[in-house]
Amino acid sequence: MNSQTGIALLMLFASSACIAATSPADQDSTANSRATEQITGAMAPDERGESRWQLGIALGYGLRTNPLVQSDDIPIIVDIDIAWFGDHFFFDNGDFGLTFADNEWVTTSVVARVNSDRVFFGRTNTKFVTVDLAGQPLTSAVQLSIPDRDFAAELGIEMLADGRWGRLQLTAHHDISGTHKGYEIAFDYVYGWRNQRWYFEPSFGLSYKSEAMNNYYWGVRPGESNEALPAYEAGSGTNAHARLQFGYQISRHWSFAMVGEFERLNDEAAASPIVDERNVFGYFAGFGYRFR
Amino acid sequence: MRRLIPALLALAAAPSLADTDVPIDYAVQLKVTPILCITDERTPSCQISFLVIWQSEQTGYYCLYNDFEESELRCWTDKRSGELNEERTVQTDFSYWMTGNDDESLLAMVTVEVLRMDTGDRRRNRRSRHVWNIF
Repeated sequence: MNSQTGIALLMLFASSACIAATSPADQDSTANSRATEQITGAMAPDERGESRWQLGIALGYGLRTNPLVQSDDIPIIVDIDIAWFGDHFFFDNGDFGLTFADNEWVTTSVVARVNSDRVFFGRTNTKFVTVDLAGQPLTSAVQLSIPDRDFAAELGIEMLADGRWGRLQLTAHHDISGTHKGYEIAFDYVYGWRNQRWYFEPSFGLSYKSEAMNNYYWGVRPGESNEALPAYEAGSGTNAHARLQFGYQISRHWSFAMVGEFERLNDEAAASPIVDERNVFGYFAGFGYRFR
Repeated sequence: MRRLIPALLALAAAPSLADTDVPIDYAVQLKVTPILCITDERTPSCQISFLVIWQSEQTGYYCLYNDFEESELRCWTDKRSGELNEERTVQTDFSYWMTGNDDESLLAMVTVEVLRMDTGDRRRNRRSRHVWNIF
């Protein structure tokens, strides 16, 4: 979708939601009448009386750096949150899941998802270069293109636990689309602090990527190599990431949030000739509207 | 980007318009602070000191009530303004309201909202957010 058209549509979407909302006043204000919550058919609640849907949209500005050579950073203008949780099945922002164990200690689900490593390969450029990636002069100008990579559909197991100590997520996913034929095992730890409207949430994690997976995205096949781009075979490796989110709940529906993220690519990926920056940084700040 | 910034600023200003009902023209102005209280799994209730301030154009007899007490919290005689500070532990929305000489006539009402940030669904509470999901 064209970015300007997309933004215009989303703004329209957001503003129409504002008009439709009939919640009580959120500001310290003068007298107001009691609110009547609108429940539409699409928001039919579960047995606890909560809507099965989780919808939100945030507009702001952010950026995620692109570790690839000859690539553009990834701008972030809109953040859409869309999820639906049934009794056993759920959809959560691109993840499809089936929960088969859910108790006080752990929630275990089978989850299908799309791998996220492909995202960097959508913003690469082709150039004619007279020096190779090591800086050595070439005999003639050579076309340097970053090899194309596909999205991979993956299926795996997810285990979740939480308590006063925070939240822990363990996942193991394997490619089922025949794209990279590899697997990934990851853990993520989150601890959130809330003081009324203020919220602060640091998190960190590790992600092990198998040789097949790492090589598919970060390797350079002999058929893709040329004088400027040498062939490269990547082994397995472990990425590390950390995230920091700060939020302020303006009202029942509106919030402001800032998030910063850091990801360190594994040694094998970082050594690839198509990788320019080992560290991936990102940030986003914006106003979010939650449909409740 | 130049077009985007004014649009974002306009959107940022929207909450006060979008989330506020059309004010009812009450005879008494009633203000409660805070008006929003947030709970989650770790803090399932709000223990907060509420400051209630009222003001009227006419001097008279006024009484303040809330949903928790059958009788009035306090009444004022020959006053046109007043305030009350009370500590409460709440888990659900509740209201303060004011009456005059006639107990049946509602002069002003304010609802304090209690917003739960967690849900009864463990999956939602336990799942980590995607990288850019700020919700």
